This record gives sequence, structure tokens and C-alpha cells, in this order.
Amino acid sequence: MKLHTVRLVAGKELRETLRDRRTLAVMVLFPLVVYPLVSLVTAQVLSARVARVEAHVARIAIAGPPPIVARVRRLLSGADFSLAPVGAAADVAANRVDAFVEVTATPAGRPPAVRVFFDETREDSTTARDRVTQALGAVSGAGCAPPFAVATQGIAPRARMSGYLLSKVLPLVVVVMVMLGAFHPAIDITAGERERGTLETTLSAPIDRNALMAGKVLAVAALAALTGFLNLASMSLTVLEGAHLMANSAPLSIPWVHIAAAFAVIPPTAFLFAAVMVAIGSLARSFKEAQTLLTPVYFLCMAPSLTAALGDFRLDGATAFIPGVNVTLLARDLIVGRAPWGLALAVIASTLMYGLAALALAARLYDSERLFFSDEAGVGLGTWLRQLVAGHRGLGHTAEPDDAPTAGQAMGLYAIACVLLFFVFVPLQSWRLEPGLAISEWGGLLGLTWLYARGRGQRLATVLHLVPPTPPALIGAILIGLSAWVVVGLLAEWIVPAPKEVVAGLRRIVAPTGHDRGMLATLLLMAVTPAICEEALFRGPILRGLRTRFSPAMTAILTGLLFGIYHVDAWRLLPTALLGIALSGIALAADSIIPSMVAHFTNNACVILLARLHADDTASLSRGARLGWLAGGALVFTAGAMLLARSSKTRRDM
Amino acid sequence: MGDPGIVVDALVKTFGSKAAVAGLSFSVEGGEIYGLLGPNGAGKTTTLRVLAGILTPTSGRAVIAGLDVAAHPLEVRRRLGFLTNTTGLYARLTGRELLRYFARLYGLAPAAADARITALVEALDLAPFFERRCEALSTGERQRLSIARAVLHDPTVLILDEPTAGLDVLASRFLRAFVRAERDRGKAVVFSTHYLAEAELLCDRIGLLHHGRLLAEGTPAALRAAAGGAASLEEAFLRLVATHDDPDAIVAEPS
Repeated sequence: MKLHTVRLVAGKELRETLRDRRTLAVMVLFPLVVYPLVSLVTAQVLSARVARVEAHVARIAIAGPPPIVARVRRLLSGADFSLAPVGAAADVAANRVDAFVEVTATPAGRPPAVRVFFDETREDSTTARDRVTQALGAVSGAGCAPPFAVATQGIAPRARMSGYLLSKVLPLVVVVMVMLGAFHPAIDITAGERERGTLETTLSAPIDRNALMAGKVLAVAALAALTGFLNLASMSLTVLEGAHLMANSAPLSIPWVHIAAAFAVIPPTAFLFAAVMVAIGSLARSFKEAQTLLTPVYFLCMAPSLTAALGDFRLDGATAFIPGVNVTLLARDLIVGRAPWGLALAVIASTLMYGLAALALAARLYDSERLFFSDEAGVGLGTWLRQLVAGHRGLGHTAEPDDAPTAGQAMGLYAIACVLLFFVFVPLQSWRLEPGLAISEWGGLLGLTWLYARGRGQRLATVLHLVPPTPPALIGAILIGLSAWVVVGLLAEWIVPAPKEVVAGLRRIVAPTGHDRGMLATLLLMAVTPAICEEALFRGPILRGLRTRFSPAMTAILTGLLFGIYHVDAWRLLPTALLGIALSGIALAADSIIPSMVAHFTNNACVILLARLHADDTASLSRGARLGWLAGGALVFTAGAMLLARSSKTRRDM
Repeated sequence: MGDPGIVVDALVKTFGSKAAVAGLSFSVEGGEIYGLLGPNGAGKTTTLRVLAGILTPTSGRAVIAGLDVAAHPLEVRRRLGFLTNTTGLYARLTGRELLRYFARLYGLAPAAADARITALVEALDLAPFFERRCEALSTGERQRLSIARAVLHDPTVLILDEPTAGLDVLASRFLRAFVRAERDRGKAVVFSTHYLAEAELLCDRIGLLHHGRLLAEGTPAALRAAAGGAASLEEAFLRLVATHDDPDAIVAEPS
């Protein structure tokens, strides 16, 4: 074996692989973008959960000889506890109290015995147990005997206990397995069909596009559901057997009825993920490309389930409609046998609706025009780098003055911005907020856009589409900026209410107490700066690049979502995404970036002013006042949108 | 001559800034084999895909059996048989399963489908490999099964995109005989190829396609005459292309 030949072959293979930009993107950008994103959001959700558990006041009932009970009551008189006048262990089981403390007198010289009854399957109850044992078992000084001999006793029945154990593990595993079950079949019937050369055969048959895609999705969903069923059954046995071995006790009884009920979650989940994966697979031109595209999607789809499983959220009117989160929470509640009918139906119905939406998208994406022809256009990576170094008058290809960025370039820029965000901007801003923010925005986002323009051999103004807007478009943008915060803010608060601490933290940044930062500086840093720099990147090359591939509505939604995700804040995802969609809509309707910059500035300035005036506490508003604000905001917003739509129509007619 | 099976009128199909078909017009009548002849990239496949309703025209229109392809793609597909050189057959299905699937897609009743399949198995000699999975078939066997798939629903129009590419002499001959038989049954056939000799053998009329436009059209003999009495269709084609690309050029075949 000649080393020379080995080197030669390795060199050629590397060259070929690295020229496949999609592989490169997944290999490099995926670990740099998706993992930090998922971990940051998960950390936020978990810290909010810890805060929620800590904020919960433990409801305690105490019984025993009155003098000792009085001592116990004194020790448990803190704000963390709410003491019921009477009670028994049965109250814990019935969720009337979180823990029941039974005190018994002991012979003189020994501390009185305290037994804490708690429910192992309720987090509030285990937290109450921990607090009580800590408060009563604490030793007052060195060498002192503990005031009480504390023992604990779980009261959950064995069947509920095993249900609880299973509910911790199974929902996530089942959702992930359903996704895995959909993964390869989805690729096989979309990109695989193309590679096997049967696409033309299929398309020449008299099948309408929707029926074709529905059939494909149904097949994938069936396989995914089968994977889910098998996993649910097998994992139930495995987990319980494992718990039995570890506990070295009598086997836990499997709540088969509840597990069977949890099966109900699988078909809609399978349908949703099958439709999503078939839609993404339809974009791909080859098996390999489909894998490249679907791997990040797989992880992104897993994130909501992971968050739901770890965050221990309640299934309620809001979470029942969040895809991924809802099925995970419902599976959990079904396994422990406490899922309310109405919410269960809402979860299944909403999941099916999302699935249908994904199916409709799949049918649209399964576009024979695109499937037969390459849409790769634009500047090659090498040329781009050469121009980046050499500037406008550099070597090789120069983009035409009106060349739009490609969708691939848009996503590439976004990925780079995310990498910078995680590894540069976030550390910079936690070092010092003000200079960190200024550097991230001006140097980072605007700088990135400028570098991109230079690499393409275009002027920054061209890449940004910095053209004078019509006066109606400008007025419309101002109206939307004036009303967006109230519409978006109230809607988001209604759908996903952020924890109080999160809101307070945000307010401290926008309106610091004392006189750390003046009004003008705050407006410059938090209204003018993002209005220019964030708009430059998001409503510049990203929006224009995505527009080459998608319809205006889809472009606005995608750009808005990317904008929301970029703000890496689980609680602000919805409002920032909604704002992003509105800003993208403005830029598209006005065919200029200036109105979206103006709207962004107006929106942020409103938020800052209100926070400064302490007039932003929407939570304290009455229901009627809130509806009033929402209606007023919606009216102004609609007026702005109509002005923009008219300006867009006038432009088209010209 | 029968009713016009296919009418293509000022058809344009562009991809980005590139026009694959640039204002193409021709028509094919029932009982006629029309050859679309041209080098690679001339726009043959794009034209045929538009005819089959797989691609939508940028402008102009295509009418099959009296129906506008863009307006009634499903009805059009029920009336046409489409066959390509890639012969995409579902690899994991047997010949019988494949034909049954398509018979149901074309709306044939089970009894009628079985009768039709039996007739095709006999006519195309599919029996020796009919129960085997498509992935295990030879190129010639696949082609015969593809033909069966394309004519299963007895279409009035046949569109064949380079159907003989990659076939050996015997298989090509079999295919040509089949196409002639279909023509004699009154079907309108469009047949694209870049084998000029084959076109000369098979086609009643030929359209010479170059850069998405029709350079010339007529019977093989008329085309040779139009190119100044060229000895073969190949020479006629070369002359016509050269005249089109550079009207002053004089093409002389070295002797």
C-alpha cells in the first residue's frame, strides 16, 4: 500500500465531500447552532420550573399532642408554609394538603418523633417533605441534639407509583421513537423515490397532488405509529422491571389501562411527524440531502418534547396547543391517570390540525418543477471568499446589481449569526451589557451583513434593499410600530404567560433602576441600534433570500420565526416571532427595508417608554381594560396594515 | 388522417433565465408517429414533460385529445401513456403488483383490469418474469413491463421519451414494432430520440428541435430535400443546425 495513493484518494474524497455544502452545513453549523440553542432554551425552562416550585407555598397539616404541635407550628411559621387547622394522611392522597405531619410524644430525654406523610408522585408534595424535614430536623447549635426525630413515609399506592415512574420516562421516549420511526420511511418515499427514478412514473399517473402526498404521509405515519406502539409496550415492561430490580422489592403493578389510554396519543403524533418529515423530505433532491435536511429537523422536533418532559409543565389551555409539548404532557397525564377529557381532545385535535397543515405544505413543496431541476444559483463559496478579500473590483464573478441572495445564503448567514450569538455576543453581553450589546449589534449583525455584501461585490444599500418608501408605507409602518407591542404583547401573554421573574428581569434591562443609563442612551442602544442592525440582517439578505424560494406569506412567517429563535428566550419566542412576522410583512409590502426599520424602532421605543413610566404591567390590568387595549391596538395595527397593503398595490399597478 | 391527438401551440418553458423550450408549435394526428429529434439539451424532454402534465408551461399551450394540459392535467393523464428511458418501476413490487396498482389508479374495474393485464402479459411476453420483483429484472424485461404500464389503460396518445436509450438491438426492435402496432391502432405517438437512424426508420413526420425551437418539420424525405438533398437525416440535421447557428456557413461533408 502506497502512502502517496492513500493521500491522493483521501484528498480527492475530502474535496468532493467539502464541496457538498449541505453536508458541510450540517457537520459544522449543526453542533454550533442547534445544540446551544436547545440547551439555552431548556436551561431557561428548567430555571423557571425551579423558581415555580420554590415559589409554591407548601400546604401542611399537623396532628399530635397539642404542646408539641404548637412547637412544630412555630418552626413551620415561615412564608414557605401554609398550615391547615386540622388534617390527616388521607388529605395528602386527596391533594388537599402537600404533606401531613404526625407528631408523637416519646419518653423523656429523647426528641419527639415526627413522621412526614407525602405523595411521591406529586412534586409539590416531595418539595413540602424536603422543607419540613429541613425545618424540623435542623440542629440549632454545635453539640445540640436535633429537636425532633424526623421520619418520612410515602403514601402513593403502588399502581400510581409505577404510573408515576413510567410517566417520567415513557412520554419522551415514545415521542422520540415515533419520530425515529417516521425518519427513514419519510426519506425513502420522497427523496428515495426520486433517486430510484420512479418520480416521473408516479407523476405521469392520474393522481392529484394532495391524494398522492396524503397517501405517502399515511404510510409513513402507520410505520411511525407501529414503532411507537412497540416501544411503549416494551419500554413499560423494561422500566418497571428495572425499577423492581433496583428497589429490590415486590414488583410494581403495571397500570395497563392507563398505558393503553396513552396509546391514543401515538396516532396523531405519528401523523404530525410523518407529515412534517415528508414535507421536508420533499424539498430534498437526493437521499443524502434528505438526511442532511431532516437531521436538524429531527432534533428541533425533539426539543419541545424534551422541554415538556424536563419542565414538568401542567397540561392546560395553553400547553394543550403547543405541538410536541402537548402530546408529551398528555401521554404523561394519561399514564398517571389524571388527564381531563376536554384537554385530551384539544391535544389530539390540535395535533391532527398541525399534521394537516404540514400535509398541505408537503403537497405544495412536492413541486415537480423544482424536483426535476437544480435551483442552485448565486456565487460559489470560493469566489465569495476571494471577493471578500479583494473587494468589489476583485476577481471573478460579480453579482448583478439587482441579484437577490439565495435561500441557501440566507440560511447560511442566519447560522453564522447564531454561532456568533452563542459564542461571542452572549458572553460579551453578560460581561457588560451596554458595550456588549453595541458591539454585537453594530459589529456583529451589521458587520456580518456588510461582509456579505462585500463578498458578493454589491453595495450594502443594494443588499439591504435600502430604497425610499412611499409616504403611506411609512405611515403604515409607524402605526404598526405604535400598536405592535400591545397586540403582540397581550396575545403572547394570553397564550404563553411568562413567569414574573422573567418579566422583571427584562424590565431591569430596559429600564434599570436608579440612573445607570439615561433615557437617550437607552433609546439609542435598545431602539435605534436593533432597528438598524437587526433589520439589516433579518429584513435584508435573510428575508430577500428566503423570498426567492417561498411565497411572501411563507417568507414572512419563516423570517419571523428565525428572528424569534435568534432571541434565544423561551418566553419571548412567541412575541418576538410575531413581531418578526409583522416586520417582515412590512418590508415585503413596502418593498423597502426602511419602513420595517421605522416600525422596529417605534415598537422598541414604546416598550422602553412604558417600562420607564412603570406603565407596562399588563398583568395588573382588569380583563375589560385588557380587551380594550387589545381592541384599540388591533384597530391601529389594521389601519397600518391596510395602508401598507395599499402602497403595495399602488406599486404593483405602476 | 384522424383527429388531432396532440396540439402544441407557441409553447415556452423557462427555468430561471434559461428557456428550455422557446416558442414550439407542432401537432400530431391519430395514427401518426411524430419524432422529436434533437441533440441533448434541445428541449425534447422538457416538451414531453409539459405534454404529460408534469411541468406547467411558462406560456403557450399544449392540448391532448382535445383537453388543455394545464387546465385538465388529471383528465389528460388518463388519456395518455408516458414512457421514458429511465423506466422507473417500483423496485420492490412484482410486475403483477405494479400493473394492478396502476390499473386501479387509472380507474379500471378489477375484472377489466385482470383481463387487460392477462392480454398484455401475452402480447408483451411478460409471463417468464411477471411474478419477480422489478429490481431483479433485466433492462429489456423492465422495458417491456414499462410498455405494459404505459398502455395499460389503452391511452389515445403515447408519449415516449427516448425509449430505446440503453436497449440492445433486439429490445429496440421489439419496441419499434410495438410503437408501429400502436400507430396502426390509431394512436397519436410522439417519440423523442437523438438516434437519427431510428427516427428515419420509425417516424411518419419529424420535427428537428434545436435550442428549444423547431428548425424544420416534415417527412424524413422532405427534410433531406429541404437541407439541399442531404444523403441522410444526420447530414440534413447538421446542415440545418449550421445554417441556423451561422446562416453564412457552408456545410460540406468531407468525402
